[in-house]
Order: sequence, then C-alpha cells, then structure tokens
Amino acid sequence: MARRLPHAIDMRPLSLLLLFLALCVPWQAAQAQDTEPPEGTIIESVDVRGLPRDNLSPGLRGELDGLTGERLNRPRLTELAARIEAERPDVVVAVRTAASPDGRARVTFLVVSISDDGSLVENINARYTVESVEIQGIPDSEISQALRDRLQALVGRRLDHDEAEELDDRLEAERPGFDVTRRISRGSERGRIRVVFEFSEKEGTRWIPFTASRSKFVYHSEQGWSGVLDIPMGNRNHRVTAGFAFDNNDDLIEEYSGFRFGFESRKLATDRLGARIEISDFNQTWKDPTLLALAVDPGIPEPYRERLTVDPSVTFALTPFVRVTGGASISELESLSNSPASQMASALLARVDYDQRWHQPRVTQRVEASYEFRSATEALESDLIYKRHLGKVRYRYTQRRSTVIADLALGGITGDAPLFERFSLGDSSTLRGWNKYDIAPAGGDRVFHASLEYRYRVLGLFLDSGSVWDSNSEMRIRLSSGFGVQSDNAFVTLAFPLNSDDLGVTFTMGVRF
Amino acid sequence: MTWRWGLIALVLVTSPLRLIGQSMTVRAVGEALHVRVPGLTFIEGPVSDRLQDGRAVRIDFELSVLDKSQGSTVARAQHSFNLSFDLWEQRFAVTRIGQAPRSLSHLTRRAAEDWCLDNVTVPLTAMGRFARDTAFWVRIEYRVQNRAAGSAEESTFTLQTLIDVLSRRREDQEQGKSMEAGPFRLN
Repeated sequence: MARRLPHAIDMRPLSLLLLFLALCVPWQAAQAQDTEPPEGTIIESVDVRGLPRDNLSPGLRGELDGLTGERLNRPRLTELAARIEAERPDVVVAVRTAASPDGRARVTFLVVSISDDGSLVENINARYTVESVEIQGIPDSEISQALRDRLQALVGRRLDHDEAEELDDRLEAERPGFDVTRRISRGSERGRIRVVFEFSEKEGTRWIPFTASRSKFVYHSEQGWSGVLDIPMGNRNHRVTAGFAFDNNDDLIEEYSGFRFGFESRKLATDRLGARIEISDFNQTWKDPTLLALAVDPGIPEPYRERLTVDPSVTFALTPFVRVTGGASISELESLSNSPASQMASALLARVDYDQRWHQPRVTQRVEASYEFRSATEALESDLIYKRHLGKVRYRYTQRRSTVIADLALGGITGDAPLFERFSLGDSSTLRGWNKYDIAPAGGDRVFHASLEYRYRVLGLFLDSGSVWDSNSEMRIRLSSGFGVQSDNAFVTLAFPLNSDDLGVTFTMGVRF
Repeated sequence: MTWRWGLIALVLVTSPLRLIGQSMTVRAVGEALHVRVPGLTFIEGPVSDRLQDGRAVRIDFELSVLDKSQGSTVARAQHSFNLSFDLWEQRFAVTRIGQAPRSLSHLTRRAAEDWCLDNVTVPLTAMGRFARDTAFWVRIEYRVQNRAAGSAEESTFTLQTLIDVLSRRREDQEQGKSMEAGPFRLN
C-alpha cells in the first residue's frame, strides 16, 4: 500500500531500512526462537546503527562498550536503549540480538529519527507492536469477515498510521451512522499495545434531540438573581434529569423555587419516536407590582402559592428537521389567599419543531422554528379553560468571527389562562433594558417580540422590540438596545430602553449552560 | 448572600476575558521573535484524554504581530504540531510538521507545551520597523484539530457530512484559545 505522508518529509532510504529492521525484526525474531540467543550468552559485539556514537555522552558510550564480553541481559539492554532515547529525544531505539555461528550474541541498537517516519510523526505509539485488536460498541458479527481479518492482520506488527486510518474509514463505511474512534492502550508486556476500534452512534443522525438544558444563573439589575440547575444523567437513548430552580423570575411573571424530575427517551422501538414525562413542584413568590395589578383586574385568574405539574408527551420525527409532539400539561395550583383550596389547569398540547442547518466554507446558517398550541378543556377536568398559541422563529448566520441572530415570537391566549401561561417580556433575553414588572406586571394575553443581534467574537450589539398586552387594551411597541459581552454561554450586557421617558440602564450578566 | 458571590465568581471564571490575566513575554532569539505564555496550557481536558487514549492530536498555532491593540497585522506565522503520548514511557512526543519537521519525545506535559510555543516564531525581518524601536502587540491563537486535515475535503458531500462538519466545528471552537498582549518593544 502506498503510504500517504501528511506532510513533506524527506524519507531517507537508509533510515527507512533501519526503521524496518528496528521495529519489525524484533517481533518476527521473537517468533523464530532459534535465532535468538538465550539469556546469559556471552556478548561478542555491540553495534549502534543510525547514530554516531560520538553523539552520545562519554558515560553512555563507555557502558555500551562495556557490554562486550558480558553475559546477555535483556532488561539491561532495554534500559540502555531508554537512556539513548533520553539523551537524544528526537530518536527511537530498538534492540536486536542475534546468535553468531560460534554461539555468542551480537547486540545491535537500531536508532531511527522520529521525524523521518510518517507513522511515528503521527503517533509515537507506532513504535510498538500490536498485541491485540478489538471491536467495541457493536457485535463483531456486524462487520464483514474480510474486514475483521484485516483488523486481525494488524497483530504482530507495528501500527501503521495510514493503514489504521484506512481501516477506520472502511469500518465507518460498513456501519454508516456510527463514528469509529481508535483507542490504544498498553499491552500485557512492555513494547506491546492493544488497539480498540470503538463504535459510537453519530449524534447528528439522531432524529430526536434531548430537551435542551435550562441551566442558568442570571443577574438582572431590576429583578435580582435567578438560578436554574439541570443535572442530566443517562445514556444516548434515555435520560433522567433532576432540576432545581432558585428564585427564578427570568422566565415567567412569577418567581419560583423548587424542583423538577424528568425522564425522557428518544428511542421507543425506533429512533423517530420518543417520549418524555416531567414532574415539577414549585413554590411561588409574587412581586408587589404583580399583586397590585391582579387586584385591579379581577378578570385574571388568582395567584397561587404552589404549582404541581405533570407534563407527559410523545414526539415523532417526520424528517431529520421536523418533529411533532403531542401531550398534556396537568397543573394543580394551590390558592395563595385561600389555601388549601386549589384549581386545576389541565391542557392538551400540540407542537411542531423545525431545526435545520446549512454549512458552506466559513459560513454557517441555522433556522429554528416552533409552534405550540395548548388547549385546557373541561374534558380534562380543568377549572381554567383557555387556548394558548405561541410561535417562534430564530435565524442565525455565522461567518468567521461574526454572527447575526434574528428572533421573532408571536403569541396569543383566549380564555382564563393561569399566570404561568401568560406572556411576559423584559428579562435577560427579551426586551432587554425594560423591566417586566414595569411593562406588564401581571403579564399579558398577547405578545410580539423581535430581536436583532450582531456579535463579533464575544462582543455583541442588539436591538429588541416588542409588546405584551391584553386583548382588551392598547398595544404599545417598546424598543431597547444594548451591548456587551455576548456568547452562547455567558453574557454581561448594558441595555437601554429607547422610547421611554426614563433613561434607565439595565445591567444583566449570567451564564447559561 | 454567599451563593450570590459564588455566582459572580462563576461568571468571571467562565468569561472569555479570563485570558487577560495570563502574562505574555516576548524576546528575540537569533532572527526570530519568540513568545512565552506561562499560563497557557493546552494539554488538558479533552485533549489530554485523547492523548491518554493513545490517539494523536494536531494543534495549529498562529502568531501575529500587530501595530496596536486589536490593530492590523504586521507579520504572521502559522505552525502546526502533532502530539501523541507514549503509553509505555508515559511521556509526550511532539512533531512540528511542515517543510522541515522536527520531533522530540520523552517530554513532560509542561515541556511539550513549552516546546510547541518555543517553535512558534515570527522572523524579525518580517516585522520591519517593529523589530527595532517601535512598540507592537502580539496575538497568539491555537486551535485543536480533531482529525487529520483534509479528511473532510476528501469525503463526498452529504447531509451526514454536513452534520459532522457542523459538529466538529463546534468542538474545535471549544478547544481553542486566543490571547493578545502588549505593548512590547525590542531594544
């Protein structure tokens, strides 16, 4: 097989010959025991090939010369080879012993420059002899016999990088949908290695992604701290998530603390069918502006002190980019003013998600869109009857270090939706620069939000616009702008409302992970 | 309140700005500009895990001399290195790949990192007046490559390769750093 050298390397014929002798012959010689002199044989001569002895220290030269006439001791020879490498770290050394016709031993230290050999350049472990080859992640029987034979043919030889790469490719070709990772570990004795070809399913081929982490710790200068921590555990198909919320007021009009526990599977008989169930129990804290607004408008359902929710759902992937979800959201809301009386808010839900990416040289584009419909009906014994629609679109364009992100969200509610279903704007990710408790302290049943953001590396500049209102009141578009450090995982921003008499500055920072 | 201070610390620690705290020194050795960044470590985390698994890692460095902070590039040099971890010697081996490859083995982690950085140089002749008495800034970037360069280009374009490339790009972005420091002056 022609060797593909990754880079221009001057492969001198003499070095190649020495390399072959150094790294192939010892193993083959070990199999032909009759050519190997036994331990204790008197050493007749000691030769160093591939490196002038003058390049070694006088002490080491003396020890090599002193071997002549001594009895053969292989651990001692290995130690001296290691000392040559220690003095000349740009080479590898192998020891060859051979029996002379008169029964004495000839010792040769074969020295090869690492940079003269493509395989050693790629991986220094190519100097070692393969002891075993193993397939992990799938049964051996799922690989053709011909390819398995080729894998086993690696045993007894040094690991050739190009040959191993080719085997990686052939394994992946036989099992599309899997990544092949080659791992090497120590063998049972010095100088031997074990090679493992490990198969793992490619993430990109999964039809249904796990629910994205909601973990975040966020500070908003008007609203204080919010924290959510999700701890996922599981394997590629099934996952359990324990989640905790600490004074979180960054998502909803309510501030809540408590826990959630979720289980999800993205492979139910087929990769295209998944299911999820989540149980959460949160205790609410209400801001004074919210309580005042609720007192003024008795048409809005009352606040609650505890929200216990069960959310079962099933997802089916129509294509790699389109998924539909159906399920329910059943909540028991314990009254704030009349505990332990409670109300049920039980809704059926339907959702469509679209997520597709395009990649060209230096340019990446991604579109994410979703539409969710919830309907709480008497059929589910819900005390609160309502319908809720929410559509979102996000477009992301990345070229080298610049990124443009455009967001649009539209939503509407009819009927008596509980407070956790009502829309709000003015937090760390929407209408930044405004405070949700100033805009609509009890939320609204209509929402519109659009955002445009430009990032250069981690520096970001954004313009937000939006409105949250009730259907029986006037819609007012609010604008804000800001800048700061913005990345997908961390942000520190200053934001300003644009069409407001109060030129306040809102500071936000946090991490999402 | 303690946990809130903890969160502030977390935000600061995870901020990309943390690299500002790493010191950088430059020096002219022979006809080349060398940099030293004592706090810059790249054999850690996933890179270290891959090496310990007997796999090789390629790291691409780019050293730029700038006329001012965030300014235009006066001179630039790119160098790539192949790293592997000798499983029996428990030491690292590094090769500077290119037209004149150089290799070194039996290195500790720190020595391997230092050797890479020491081999990332810009010729003084390319720096013009900045090699004499004009102040300049230096930016050093590195990026870890998961697979041998060229493998993506050789394969046929399919939806799967698209997803793979996107995935790899994300990983690469996570495994790279950039830092800039100055002003420096060579006397």
